[in-house]
Amino acid sequence: MFEKVLIANRGEIALRIHRACREMGIGTVAVHSTADADAMHVRLADESVCIGPPPAQQSYMNIPAILTAAAISNADAIHPGYGFLSENANFATMVEEHGFTFIGPTPEHIRIMGNKVAAKKAALDAGIPVVKGSDGSVDSEELALEVAKEIGYPVIVKASAGGGGRGMKVANSPEELRKGFKTAKSEALAVFGNGELYIERFLSHPRHIEVQILADLHGNVVHLGERDCSLQRRHQKLVEEAPSPALNDKERDEIGTIARNAMVSLGYRSVGTLEFLYQDGEFNFIEMNTRLQVEHPVTEMICGMDLVREMVRVSAGAPLGYSQDEIHFSGHAIECRITAENPTTFLPSPGRVVDYHAPGGLGVRVDSALYSGYVVPPHYDSMIAKLIVHGSTRNECLMRLRRALGEYVIGGLDTTIALHQRLVTEPAFVNGDYDIHWLERFVDEESTD
Amino acid sequence: MVKSPRVSDVNEDLVRKLARLLEETGLSEIEYGKDGWHMRVAKALSAPVAPAVAPPPGNDGIQVEDDPEALAENADVITSPMVGVVYNTPEPGAPPFVKVGDKVTASQTLFLIEAMKVFNPVEAPRDGIVVRIMVSNGTPVEFDEPLLVIE
Repeated sequence: MFEKVLIANRGEIALRIHRACREMGIGTVAVHSTADADAMHVRLADESVCIGPPPAQQSYMNIPAILTAAAISNADAIHPGYGFLSENANFATMVEEHGFTFIGPTPEHIRIMGNKVAAKKAALDAGIPVVKGSDGSVDSEELALEVAKEIGYPVIVKASAGGGGRGMKVANSPEELRKGFKTAKSEALAVFGNGELYIERFLSHPRHIEVQILADLHGNVVHLGERDCSLQRRHQKLVEEAPSPALNDKERDEIGTIARNAMVSLGYRSVGTLEFLYQDGEFNFIEMNTRLQVEHPVTEMICGMDLVREMVRVSAGAPLGYSQDEIHFSGHAIECRITAENPTTFLPSPGRVVDYHAPGGLGVRVDSALYSGYVVPPHYDSMIAKLIVHGSTRNECLMRLRRALGEYVIGGLDTTIALHQRLVTEPAFVNGDYDIHWLERFVDEESTD
Repeated sequence: MVKSPRVSDVNEDLVRKLARLLEETGLSEIEYGKDGWHMRVAKALSAPVAPAVAPPPGNDGIQVEDDPEALAENADVITSPMVGVVYNTPEPGAPPFVKVGDKVTASQTLFLIEAMKVFNPVEAPRDGIVVRIMVSNGTPVEFDEPLLVIE
């Protein structure tokens, strides 16, 4: 087992990783920018190393600085968290070349799944149902029009190097496709440095359902059920729940088994999430995330597992120690992502947290690095807390969530707590009757009231 | 700057002596200094962190303060531009780049910082005199860590 793990991230996930390591008796090294010198995980970690100024490129994504910090602190392994370098195959490779263990999937799998065209092909080969679309990348407008004619409008143009909702254009007609194709190409080139595009059938009212898998280095793989992440605004998830209110046990078992078997055939290791758009009873694979996800706590709550702990364990070579039959799901969990933004205008609101009171009680979990007096820096992602509740039924969960949101105090900043409070009483959410467009419409309606 | 004190910066023997003196004499605070720095050892009620947090490990209720002597108006603190291991000589066994009291000129190499087997020079931003050096040879340094003071 590792003696020391370097946490190559910040905020709530860095704290999360520190906690798992601390509970395993593993020493932690917190690397941080100057803006995060007073961060909670930096204070609690066994060691800390300042690696750069606030901008992420010069700190949290500064590969030489992180590797150097690992060398001078004698770390054994590096956990990349999510975002930043977690899905950077070069980073994963360099970590291993320098003699550290990368706590995550293999660089090869990160690379394959990082290219969305290659990912779809790998998924197809592994028996996963994929969205109808172009066979590989589409290099010309003419080809785009041909593909669209074959699969039928509406279509969506996507960047191979994109993902997570970025660089996408919907087209309802050949004219829109011509325009959208051009724009998507130049945007992709500008943002991702790679103008390669592909085309898919656009689904009008899907749910975003993703399956969590976990694999060790010995070929053992389990799926840990699904999460419904349909509540999104501008492709950013706001609320996630497990299990999905839209699936029955048979469907759940089917897609979980497909995902698991695919990962066995790929020889996958560590955690991963297969994302699907689910519409009219059909699953359509869109992409795979080769890292720990923000919303992993809802899976942890219904499975009774510590996913970060499992990541560390399997990376150190330990076998899973349990089979799929031993995985049981219990109750229901919901997570609300709370951001330092105005709940109606979504204008960012960094600043000092003057009063802080987190909710508590049975089935309430808060993953946050906030504390009274903490200054939320403006340089990074605006998510400041995750409120996760668990209940024995979805109804109990909703009641608990309502109660917990009412107790949560984050004074001194604008936060989206009020938005979550409104969501939690909306009939569509209460009934579990929403798709990936619902939240955007709800928010737009609210802002025009 | 790292908040938790690092062992390389702290004269352990001196701290132990002072702490023992505190216990034996029943005093609540002892200050001792020489050569432009001083150390204060006090029976603290709580470690100097935000109330919601446990004190950094290893403090045991004793505060050790390095008194930053007021810098002269024209003094510049040269900080590390990167994380790595600092060396004050061009190669092992050679004389140091600079010593306290030396005159330096702009762009003169003051240290080498090694990261991933690559050595990066830290250069003087202007002419001046070295009045203080805060790091010792072959020790790890963080980004922004004070290395040297020029007046």
